[in-house]
Amino acid sequence: MAEIKENIKSRLVIKAVRNVRRGDVNESAERGMYRPDIKLDLQRSRLMTASYKATDGKPMIMRRAKAFENILANMDLYIQDWERIVGSNVSFPQGLYFGIDMNWRSVERIVRGKEGQSLLDEKGRSELKAMIDYWKGKSMSDRQQTLFTGPILKYWKYEGTFLWTHWSELGIPDYEMIFRVGLKGIIQEAETRLAEIDTVVPADYLEQKEFLNSAIIALKALIRFANRYAVMAREMAARTVEAEHKKRLLEIAETCEWVPENPPRTFLEALQSFFFIHVGRYVEYSTLGIGVRFDKIFGSYYEQDISDGRLTREEALEILQLLWVKFHELGLVYSPMLSGIYGGVESLQAITVGGVDQDGNDITNEMTYLVLETAQSMKTLEPSIAMRYHEGTPDKLLHKAAEVMHEGIGYPSMFNDKGLIPTLRKWDVPLEDARDYAVTGCVYIEIPGKNIARRAHGALVLPKCLWWALHSGINPENNEQWGAKTPDPAEFSSVNDILAAYLDQVRFFFGRMTKIENICRSLYETYLPRPFYSAVLEGCIEKGRDTRRWAYPSMVHDFVVIIGATNVVDSLSAIKRVVFENKLVTLPELIEIMDRNWEGHEEIRQACINAPKYGNDDEYVDLMARDVHYGTSSVLAEFSDRFGNPLRGDGSGVSATYGLAYHTPATPDGRKNADAFSDATLSPSQGSDFKGPTAVLKSAAKIDTEKTYNHLLNQKFLPSMLEGDMRDVFVSYLRTWGDMEISHIQFNVVDKETLLDAQKHPENYSDMIVRVAGYSAYFVDLSKGLQDSIIRRTEQTFE
Amino acid sequence: MTDSGDKGLVFNIQRFSVHDGPGIRTTVFFKGCPLRCLWCSNPESQDYRQTLIVRDMTCTACGKCVAVCPLKAISIDENSGRRIDWSKCNQCLRCVEACMYSSLNRCGDYMTVAEIIKEVARDTLFYKNSGGGVTISGGEPLLQHAFLMKLLPVCKDSGYHVALDTTGFASREVIKSILPYVDLVLFDIKHLDDETHRKLTGVGNKAILSNLREVAKASNIWLRVPLIEGLNDSAEEIEKIGKLAKAVGAEKVSLLPYHEGGVSKSYQIGREYLIPKAKPPSAQYIESLKCLLLKMGVKATVGS
Repeated sequence: MAEIKENIKSRLVIKAVRNVRRGDVNESAERGMYRPDIKLDLQRSRLMTASYKATDGKPMIMRRAKAFENILANMDLYIQDWERIVGSNVSFPQGLYFGIDMNWRSVERIVRGKEGQSLLDEKGRSELKAMIDYWKGKSMSDRQQTLFTGPILKYWKYEGTFLWTHWSELGIPDYEMIFRVGLKGIIQEAETRLAEIDTVVPADYLEQKEFLNSAIIALKALIRFANRYAVMAREMAARTVEAEHKKRLLEIAETCEWVPENPPRTFLEALQSFFFIHVGRYVEYSTLGIGVRFDKIFGSYYEQDISDGRLTREEALEILQLLWVKFHELGLVYSPMLSGIYGGVESLQAITVGGVDQDGNDITNEMTYLVLETAQSMKTLEPSIAMRYHEGTPDKLLHKAAEVMHEGIGYPSMFNDKGLIPTLRKWDVPLEDARDYAVTGCVYIEIPGKNIARRAHGALVLPKCLWWALHSGINPENNEQWGAKTPDPAEFSSVNDILAAYLDQVRFFFGRMTKIENICRSLYETYLPRPFYSAVLEGCIEKGRDTRRWAYPSMVHDFVVIIGATNVVDSLSAIKRVVFENKLVTLPELIEIMDRNWEGHEEIRQACINAPKYGNDDEYVDLMARDVHYGTSSVLAEFSDRFGNPLRGDGSGVSATYGLAYHTPATPDGRKNADAFSDATLSPSQGSDFKGPTAVLKSAAKIDTEKTYNHLLNQKFLPSMLEGDMRDVFVSYLRTWGDMEISHIQFNVVDKETLLDAQKHPENYSDMIVRVAGYSAYFVDLSKGLQDSIIRRTEQTFE
Repeated sequence: MTDSGDKGLVFNIQRFSVHDGPGIRTTVFFKGCPLRCLWCSNPESQDYRQTLIVRDMTCTACGKCVAVCPLKAISIDENSGRRIDWSKCNQCLRCVEACMYSSLNRCGDYMTVAEIIKEVARDTLFYKNSGGGVTISGGEPLLQHAFLMKLLPVCKDSGYHVALDTTGFASREVIKSILPYVDLVLFDIKHLDDETHRKLTGVGNKAILSNLREVAKASNIWLRVPLIEGLNDSAEEIEKIGKLAKAVGAEKVSLLPYHEGGVSKSYQIGREYLIPKAKPPSAQYIESLKCLLLKMGVKATVGS
């Protein structure tokens, strides 16, 4: 068995992106953004371009459906000789997905520069250039640039306070519905709807008709895509002598003739159907994540196969391992700027296990354990495993989770039903839906099957907002009023005054960010409708409307990744202690010292560092943390998406806590210019927690999830803490975290010496995976600075 | 300094202590110890006074400490930075007040029962879920017996599982009086030969072993054996300890491999570390000692 696993692992293709920039500054472009064997795949772009040319003048939704159809009908297919589950969003295993319809500029740049020279040969470059000629003025980023004018354009350009981003759009298809009726069932429903509107003729008749026809085209395209694999597999089988291989190919043929058109009958068919839908979503549009509640969806198929004697547990494990390899074939090209935010990511694919069903009962089944065993045996970057916790989570499962965490791969990461379900309820999500939440990527929470075309629309740098508040919103380099006009710091007489000015700056910048986002959402609605994805959600066919034209009525949708909240908290604590209480310096003096990056005033910096810090179970500062989070959250909620849903923050952080810190000068917490921020919303600043992990949890628990957003909390444990008898203690620690209703926790289980050694001898650690933010990455893919920031997270030791 | 019992002298309160008794615990370390074990990993705990402990790393050689030291024990050298002549230091700690960089620090705080309980109470939920509680350690906590007689009843009333980590070096009366408030005694056994014990720790072990028998009558016991290569790790010695464990009905024997924690701390308090070449036995050998105990029917663990 072990031999087979190793064999399977050797087939992994790694498409992780290396972080080559911090903000807009090059950090290590010479490393190249991708591994040398990875090549840009132009087929999707080529087929999409051809289709767009042919459908000029047609309604956009029809053009998108036709382009989808053209790609799936003509893209080269591959079946590798070991595969049992097939499908890809690219035409060869090492191919890298590229959304020319979104943004071609950065790709054009990187394939000529050091970052991505190896991605494309000369012939490819000239073909790319020819295609770009067509897309000039038509890609999403072109349309944005022509639409933004004046003050919006001014703030769209990244200057360090926020970074608005393309895509990051996730979403979870309604797999339960798809498996129940098959795509043919959805097609039938769409046809019924078409007939109905012909009878009723609603006010939006044309829109509905175009949408429904497009959805049918897209669904049929995916069925034919699957059938192409069936044909190919049969042809290959006819030429294949080796019996086992021939058998696999015939199995593929039979499977792909049946799904996704029809409801799956077996575990393998269910997985294949799921994977086609997953791939279809990735082909249609530049997207991320998975989100499926894996054990809930696939557990019954597995158990049926076992009881029918069709499948053994060992075979199921092997099929899952093969699926894990296929997940790795889904990567995408990032812009150099985004590489600084998504350092080490492939497609941010996460799957969810555990938790409760719609009635509140624990859903743990054999598939829950099989997923964990697959993760443990494969130790792959993706999919990351999100495990839901509730009081009824079996001890056995928590022990298994601890065993997998002990591998050091950073997952499963834990999500707390006790914190998240009430939060979703507060966001007007009905109880049944709230109980069904899943994690798509990082810590993004969604409700499977619902029309939540979730977007992380960028990152807001909170310490920079504080910095503006300490400078009245004026850029000292050119005296321009860039942020909100807040009072002169000399007039601040308490921490509350500063907090109010900080919140004004958050309001100012987030307001601009929201404008950009809402404008872009209407561009997306017009130019990037998603007929395929809409068809596999609940409600779009029934309403006859694309996913982008209506929304699940809750603030579960759009969010902004908020960066560095802890640094704001620690800064306020330092000002309170050093300026208002100990009166070592006045606030204007402190700002001046800080703006010179503390040079010549190390004693003041030390005094700031020694002020109480978040993460030590100290009310002095933890109550300030509460004020900062609650205040920030309320300000974000003053703004709405286009459908009137209030906006919110999110703790996913990604690697932006390092990358985007580059453009924030020194802050009052003693942090120096450009130093990394604390790595997550609930994490203490690196090395600032002295009282052990329980004190960190106590601090974190004071920030009520319901009043804020879903959070992220990293802790680093020595491997010995999860070994032998200690595992019981660790599990009790997890249960206590659960009782405290903290929404999330994840662990880097590795010792510092190993990480330091890996920096020195990367060649010996090519497969070592660490937790960055809501995802794991190969340590060697991260820049030295990002590696350092992970090493500096306090290791939780014990005497 | 006398033990009036109103305040205890504590040099550390360690939360998330998972090697000092069952579950997740908070360990309260009391300052002052009558033993002088060669390998002591917390030498700052020995002196029953508030004392100076230094961290060179954060020193900027600003010289503020030099100015306030009444005995001129501190100097600044251009090349090697701040130097302390420990033979002159009388632990007045004025330098600690003057230091802006947390480089000169005070070891030991006088704390009331209420102050300690406030800290201990912070992790109550963790104790409940893990079967943990409070561990009283040191130094030798029994030196502050009068204070413990006030602290421990409050711990018990609060429902905490109480473990006492002790050298066993105390009067019979002191030990007996404390036992009603203790659920588990972590009893150190460093060597069973009286003379060797004296060489290694500065005191003989007759009183200790006699106290052990007394404790065994009233409390659950874990024997804790620090293992230092060549000093107390012979199979013969461990076998004897195993027999003792059986004789007194100890629940288990914890083998605690030597670690170098005491080396840097000795430097930080201006003390010479007497056995700089000490090391723990090899992991393999420790495993064999553990097996030896297990074969005798004695439960044994390594590290906790």
